[in-house]
Amino acid sequence: MKRFFAALLALSLCISLAACGGSPASSAAAPASSDDAGKTVFIQGFDLDYPPYSYLQNDGTVGGFDVEACQAVCDYLGWEYMARPFNWDVKDAELNSGSCDCIWSGFTVEGREDDYVWSIPYSNNTQLILVKEDSGINNLGDLAGKVVGVQTATSAFDLLQDEEGQKALCDTFASLEVFETYTIAFNDLKAGGIDAIAIDATAGGFLISGETGYKFLDEELGVETYAVGFRKGDEALRDQVNEALQALSANGTLQKIAEKEEYAEIREFLVL
Amino acid sequence: MTFSTMLTTMSSGMLKTCSLFFLTLWFSLPIGMLVAFGRMAKNPVVRGAVKIYIAVMRGTPLMLQLIMWYFGPFYLFGWSIKGYRFPALLIGFSLNYAAYFAEIYRSGIESMPIGQYEAAEVLGYTKAQTFFRIILPQVVKRILPAVTNEVITLVKDTSLAFTIAYAEVFSLAKQIAASQTSFTPFVIAGVFYFAANYAVAFAMERVEKAFAYFR
Repeated sequence: MKRFFAALLALSLCISLAACGGSPASSAAAPASSDDAGKTVFIQGFDLDYPPYSYLQNDGTVGGFDVEACQAVCDYLGWEYMARPFNWDVKDAELNSGSCDCIWSGFTVEGREDDYVWSIPYSNNTQLILVKEDSGINNLGDLAGKVVGVQTATSAFDLLQDEEGQKALCDTFASLEVFETYTIAFNDLKAGGIDAIAIDATAGGFLISGETGYKFLDEELGVETYAVGFRKGDEALRDQVNEALQALSANGTLQKIAEKEEYAEIREFLVL
Repeated sequence: MTFSTMLTTMSSGMLKTCSLFFLTLWFSLPIGMLVAFGRMAKNPVVRGAVKIYIAVMRGTPLMLQLIMWYFGPFYLFGWSIKGYRFPALLIGFSLNYAAYFAEIYRSGIESMPIGQYEAAEVLGYTKAQTFFRIILPQVVKRILPAVTNEVITLVKDTSLAFTIAYAEVFSLAKQIAASQTSFTPFVIAGVFYFAANYAVAFAMERVEKAFAYFR
């Protein structure tokens, strides 16, 4: 009996090892990878903490504008959609290792032009400063000597570090606090730990939806465009997605997705 | 960004990591001793309360505790938490590690044979004298390897401080990696942590040798 269990255990180990060995190899070869039915599998890599582009929905499923747009692209091309939520800090390792086929998550092109193969832009955005209404901060000049928060590895953060961007403004701050997520930064703003947040108009709009007592400063920090990033050398894949995006824009599918209540902030920024 | 800029930026983060590390040790080692006494107290109320404290500290993620310590004053009392970031980190880390150290101390103290206490009593030692002159030196000697384990874990756990936006070395590594689309900062961070822990292990080995007087 003991021996039987040992054999069973060994067998199950072998099977699970074989299963582990199989999947990365097939996804690395994407988009040529296919499931049993011969369908192409397209894997979208994204940050699950970036509303309204990609986030956990009220019903506990993965969603967001970018997720729905990608699913629509897959439907159009007859591909099988697969979600790969990842840690934003290691997005490049995820993409290059083949665990996903693209980064599609409110992904800013500016400053990264040469690092990826880019799709056509589908959305614009602006970076703004979010403050409490009663904070007495009414323009960028008022931020001198204030503590400003930003999420790590975002375009707003890059902009504040860029000599040709808003580095000069950033130098007037008492300090720039870098957060892991905007959720924590917003709590900190609420609690008075920081005075302002530098954030995309859409992400910021999502944060303060349902809240009162917050406002954006009128002056913009900068503008940016969102597109889908592919591995270098994946031009063919990119072209297919581009074609799909254009078709979905022409037949109104993308606009229809943006019509949803929770994507209200994106609607005015859609460029396709 | 050049390699040397990367190193300088990350060194500043390492400095913040180290200050958090040393201050946490400074507070948690003595607090742990108090907690250990509470855990072994004859009074059942004290003992019970300390047991609950240890259970909560060990049973919930440190990351969550940091968020609670930092935002707690605002959500509970509506206080503004300006400038409270580093103190909150120190409270969170020190109280968490004190719980672990307390259990290590207790294991050491309870492992002392009763004969030691009896012999001390016969020789006319007071209770305090017995503890500080006879029991404690032997306890320290016994628990050093376990303490070293915990201290090394602390070096690595400091990366959790980024949860409430403390710019320690690993968060800087992630930022640079993202902006430069490079893997190098992660390697540098790995080397930094390893060097720090090598120093800890080396220092603790020296301490162990100093205590190895009966060999």
